[in-house]
Amino acid sequence: QDMATLIADRVALDGQNRLIAEGSVEIFHQGRRLRASRILYDRSSDRLLIEGPIVLTEGSGTLVVADQADLAADLTEGVLQSARLVLNRQLQLAASEMQRIGGRYTALGRTVVSSCQICAQNPTPLWEIRAQRVIHDELERQIYFDRAQLRIAGVPVFWIPHLRMPDPTLNRARGFLRPSLITTSELGTGVKIPYFIPIGENRDLTVTPFLATRSAQSLDLRYRQAFRSGQIEIAGSLARDRILPGETRGQITASGVFMLPRDFLLTFRGEAVSDPAYLLDYDISSKDRLDSQIEVMRTRRGEYISARLVHFNSIREGDVNSTLPSVVTDMTWERRFSPRGLGGTAGLRFQTHSHFRSSDSTDDSNGDGISDGRDMGRASVSLDWRRNWVLGGGILASALTEISADFYRTRQDPAFPGSSTRAAGGVALELRWPWMRQGADGAMHVIEPVAQLIWSPKTGRVVPIEDSALVEFDEGNLFSFSRFPGADAVERGPRANVGIGYTRHDPSGWSLGVTVGRVFRTSSSDPDPFGPASGLAGRNSDWLAAFRMSRNDGLALTHRLVFNDDLRMSKAEMRLDLQRQDYGIAASYLWMLPDALEMRDTRVSELVFEGSYRLTPNWLGQFNTRYDFEADRAASAGVLFEFRNECMKIDLSLSRRFTTSNAIRPSTRFGLSVDLLGFGGSALPGPSRSCRG
Amino acid sequence: QGAQIDFGGMQQDTSLPVEVTADQLSVDQANGSATFSGNVLVGQGEMRLSAAEVQVEYTEGGGGIERLHATGGVTLANATDAAEAQEAVYTIASGEVVMTGNVLLTQGPNAISGQRLVINLTTGSGVMEGRVQTVFQPGASRN
Amino acid sequence: CGFAPAYGPGGPGLKLQNAVLADAPRDGFGFNLVKRLEERLGPAQAARYGLSYEIGLKSTGVAITTDNAITRYNLNGVVDWTLRDLGTDTQLAAGRAESFTSHSATGSTVAGLAAEGDAQRRLMRILADQIVTQLLATSGSWSAE
Repeated sequence: QDMATLIADRVALDGQNRLIAEGSVEIFHQGRRLRASRILYDRSSDRLLIEGPIVLTEGSGTLVVADQADLAADLTEGVLQSARLVLNRQLQLAASEMQRIGGRYTALGRTVVSSCQICAQNPTPLWEIRAQRVIHDELERQIYFDRAQLRIAGVPVFWIPHLRMPDPTLNRARGFLRPSLITTSELGTGVKIPYFIPIGENRDLTVTPFLATRSAQSLDLRYRQAFRSGQIEIAGSLARDRILPGETRGQITASGVFMLPRDFLLTFRGEAVSDPAYLLDYDISSKDRLDSQIEVMRTRRGEYISARLVHFNSIREGDVNSTLPSVVTDMTWERRFSPRGLGGTAGLRFQTHSHFRSSDSTDDSNGDGISDGRDMGRASVSLDWRRNWVLGGGILASALTEISADFYRTRQDPAFPGSSTRAAGGVALELRWPWMRQGADGAMHVIEPVAQLIWSPKTGRVVPIEDSALVEFDEGNLFSFSRFPGADAVERGPRANVGIGYTRHDPSGWSLGVTVGRVFRTSSSDPDPFGPASGLAGRNSDWLAAFRMSRNDGLALTHRLVFNDDLRMSKAEMRLDLQRQDYGIAASYLWMLPDALEMRDTRVSELVFEGSYRLTPNWLGQFNTRYDFEADRAASAGVLFEFRNECMKIDLSLSRRFTTSNAIRPSTRFGLSVDLLGFGGSALPGPSRSCRG
Repeated sequence: QGAQIDFGGMQQDTSLPVEVTADQLSVDQANGSATFSGNVLVGQGEMRLSAAEVQVEYTEGGGGIERLHATGGVTLANATDAAEAQEAVYTIASGEVVMTGNVLLTQGPNAISGQRLVINLTTGSGVMEGRVQTVFQPGASRN
Repeated sequence: CGFAPAYGPGGPGLKLQNAVLADAPRDGFGFNLVKRLEERLGPAQAARYGLSYEIGLKSTGVAITTDNAITRYNLNGVVDWTLRDLGTDTQLAAGRAESFTSHSATGSTVAGLAAEGDAQRRLMRILADQIVTQLLATSGSWSAE
């Protein structure tokens, strides 16, 4: 179908094989559409002489605006006068004359290229590229500049003999990505210029050199590959600087995910670094324990299988890797089902765990109560069952039971030579009595008292404890059989978990949730397996109070307190999230007692605050800080200003990290990056400047 | 793919004799006009005009035809072109044909539609008006 | 005072018991969410309602010491859930559950790893309990009969 359609208010045929169309003339041909005020179509020469204002739109979103033109009848060839080529409704190329060649190339004479809004009263755009000649290749979606000159606010800044840039619709084009200028107190001032190289359809490589004044050079490489059943990404960097003169420093991280047959999934993540301070010096990450991991897992309804191998390399001050478990394996196979006859829900779980410390010594140099070289293997099987009944008066009663058997084998630990086994378990009755009321304003109020009476033997065999030291007490384990995070330690003895929850639920307005609870035991145990910070020590636990409020206009507040009878805090945590149209706050506060069992000898009192405020439609300011009240100084603080309009994005950031250790020093970091919007796959444009008057 | 198609090729020597054939003819002596009705066919040289009804107005002395007024769906055609409309008025002396009402002019593969078409048979030029739409074959002249 | 027992005669609790089938989990988080939902609502038998859920998680380091050790992590969780009638597949209710749990990272790496896993399980229990309460609270508008 290569017929062209012409529509006009008036068409005259002059007998010499010429057709003159006038009055809002339009021509449609193979997805191209041309609008003009007057067109003379000369059949013998098959040319269209067109008078503007001309608007030619291509199928691909390309738009040409011109005053007059002399084109071939199928609109693929010809010259347009005082024309503007607009790509992706964003990037404009304006020239006195524009030539269309073979329906693919558009060649422009002296051209001004910009994606900025140009207003009548001040025509100089924020940035523009002037060139003697510009060619746009519609097929390859590239723009070629000859003798180009970059101007910022009209001032020539940069001159390039030949330049090639991807047009806005092209995402995977070889070329330079956004450059950034970075100044840090350690490395001096330098420029980072990433260069992206696509390799075939499913692979790419990004090379980012960084040259800085204090003779610091680094080279970042990132390689990505997609397979039919998965993908991998490998990122690494090498550097030489004055921080560790004469040394080649660097890091590498690799990650990947693959679909295996029968719904299994393989994921891996690897990290390695040359020295502890490298990741912070080059602002790569703030991790202080590098965990490389490979895991195969499958999750189906009622079945969870996971097998993983984890390698730890701690770069934390004071950690000695040889006395910490560096190689860990975990295997879990859990089935959940509803047993016929018994009803309710049941779970059967097989689990193995092992970890290895490279040290072979049996003394305890780091004072964590574990022999320095202890290696351990564990195999466990556990069964749980629970069934609910509705009693009269609306009481929901549940019978619960959990039994487990664990087999341990340790090496290099005089306290637990050879192997040991242990069985544990308990039965429980849970009573819930929720009451509901519809408020006058439509909000639902739910009050739910809960009591759980647990019986389990008071004594049991002692096994090596490694994974149960860091105990938490919150609504998630107030009604749990055992609040220890791992399998090594189990809660023993008869106890009652009692709590009451109140919820006000109004999805269109605001909702509120309060939970208060406590654990009552018949007697305290000696030695007490719980530390002071956990809130679970002593005969009865501390009070747990959790408060949650959320509103559908972007507010979410969660507050959790653990305190004893005379209101002395063991732990307090708060998180506030407020995201509004023009401003946002994300704040969290943490207060915790020191706890020898958790190897934490100082109190923690830390505020993390992140606020953003839209200063103007184009300027966004962000401020973040982490303040350590205990050390009475900020751990880090930073401010970021982002300017974004329809054609440019500028990021200005200033941040300082105050933390120090043998390996790291406090450092200040200033970053500036400029992104000219409108070229290949660049960032999304912001609100454009409005032309006043 | 077709000979050189000449736009507006509706040229015609308007001095040639005009024959009119129809099923019925009624004459009005008072104003000297005659009304042919039923499959009316008007011929002049190579040009043919057919219509449901054609009213013929003769010149002052009754010697020749001054004007033809065709209604009820008109088709005007010659060897290469054809034009259809609801009504047409052909003034012999000036050689001007004014066709109105869903006009469709076809010339080989090209077709032009509109509301009003004025053709000058002596010069072969034509002007179509009223949201004109035409379909044409770009590049036809090259092959 | 207008309060009525949720599991009393004709109460919403009875309509929910053994009547909700949660979508099959795709990862460990979903597995623990569904585990707690089935504990609270009973295993689905001839379920009338289908519950689908979208889990969002974000872990942030807190309690950073003066020598830059990250000694604790906050795990923030959000679950957007929708309830549909399994017979007519029409959506009956929707909501969002949101909370956070924390885990320390001091001492042994194995202790840190176990604490992280426990924090994930606790978070899913809290979010599942919130969903059950929201189902009870909104049941007036969808459990018609």
